[in-house]
Amino acid sequence: MRYINVENLTFYYDREPVLENISYHVDSGEFVTLTGENGAAKSTLIKTTLGILKPKKGKITISSKNNRGEKLRIAYLPQQVASFNAGFPSSVHEFVMSGRYPRQGWFKKMGAHDLEHVKAALDSVGMWDYRDKRIGELSGGQKQRIAIARMFASDPDLFILDEPTTGMDDVSSSDFYQLMHHAAHKHGKAVLMVTHDPEEVKDFADRNIHLLKDKNGKFACFDLHTDRDRVLQEAQEELEEKANV
Amino acid sequence: MFELFQYDFMRNALLAATAISIFSPLLGVFLVLRRQSLMSDTLSHVSLAGVAFGVLLSWNPTITTLITVVIAAVFLEYLRTIYHNYMEIATAILMSAGLAIALLILNSSKGATSVSLEQYLFGSIITISLSQVIMLFVLAAVVLLGFILFLRPLYVMTFDEDTAFVDGLPVRWISIAFNIVTGIAIALMIPAAGALLVSAIMVLPASIAMRLGKSFKAVLFISVIVSFIGLNAGLIASYYMDAPASAAITLIFIVLFLVTSSLKRLIRA
Repeated sequence: MRYINVENLTFYYDREPVLENISYHVDSGEFVTLTGENGAAKSTLIKTTLGILKPKKGKITISSKNNRGEKLRIAYLPQQVASFNAGFPSSVHEFVMSGRYPRQGWFKKMGAHDLEHVKAALDSVGMWDYRDKRIGELSGGQKQRIAIARMFASDPDLFILDEPTTGMDDVSSSDFYQLMHHAAHKHGKAVLMVTHDPEEVKDFADRNIHLLKDKNGKFACFDLHTDRDRVLQEAQEELEEKANV
Repeated sequence: MFELFQYDFMRNALLAATAISIFSPLLGVFLVLRRQSLMSDTLSHVSLAGVAFGVLLSWNPTITTLITVVIAAVFLEYLRTIYHNYMEIATAILMSAGLAIALLILNSSKGATSVSLEQYLFGSIITISLSQVIMLFVLAAVVLLGFILFLRPLYVMTFDEDTAFVDGLPVRWISIAFNIVTGIAIALMIPAAGALLVSAIMVLPASIAMRLGKSFKAVLFISVIVSFIGLNAGLIASYYMDAPASAAITLIFIVLFLVTSSLKRLIRA
């Protein structure tokens, strides 16, 4: 089932085109990575897809239902969430529990079921023992882990992740990719993840969407299913040709 | 000790302090966390222009202050979303404009009005009337109820607005509503606290509580306790020392801030 469908998206920043005619899709049961060089507007593409930023042109469709016919739940992990609001006066438990609010209702009392979800989420990132600590007392990597736990606690259908393993060691990162692969393939979730290192994720991801820059500084988007290097080379050549015309 | 309770003006002042200690630190915690501490200062200066408009139009200054501050609060939210990186400049311009307009209008109306800028700049909690006390308690009840109902949305929004948006919250509307309530709170606090000190009364208890509380709810609770202690202690001290109340209150908050900061460092060491 198609969860995200983006057609001919164009985004301008201060009257300058940043993304032009970008089209891509993400289906349930897929783990898709989004790559591109530094400044390739990967985060901008994600934010525009989510509606946080308004596109200049294009059609963005996010399914309202999941593959079981229920309301589609989205979890978004922003880039460098760990460095945001470092002095935020909240316990780890409170923070991860807040992931349950959109699912259980903003005004309903949380029950034992929600507490179980929170415990499972904190256990999955090895942070249960830190539940009563203040967020500000944690290291960058630990903050990233609790942000991931908050996302797990919400039990979403669609994960949208912007460099989620920043500050995490190689083993933890690999475990996380394995978990996302499992979520997509065994539970029918959809994952769209920005990463700066596609090599690290290639054993886990199904597809890679790559943002390429042409001579005029505009970005185009390519789906790289197989034979990544060849497709990338051809795409780059095609883009240069178009720019020359 | 209890002689001060014999006087109506002191009873009103202590009641006003109690009402303010309920709503101002709650709003203060969110102002600090949303990096909008300067907003309380700006709105309090803009409120002076509201007082001046009241004089100019021969209306009740409380009404014109409320209208002016609410418009400024909505305008500030607009500026925050459009010029995120230059917010401080916009805030500073609005603050100076508020003060300049107030000075200009009140100066040109000299002799025609008994309103002086000084009484709104410094405020006087001991001249608070019973109707003003009732208004402060109504506001305290509204803010308290609002926080109980909307604590979760406010928590997520304060942590990260983008996450809150994806979680399905009407971020823009909540922000505007928060700014309006803050504007109303400042407009009603001005006669008691004065434009120059209102932000200290809002922000200092929040800053102290943020150093002490381990959880978000604990921070909110501690901020109200600190505010209650500081406001009432300052008021009582000003009575016995024959000192201006808002100055005594602010200095007590600053002492509490320094003591808690030092104690925390000592405990860490």
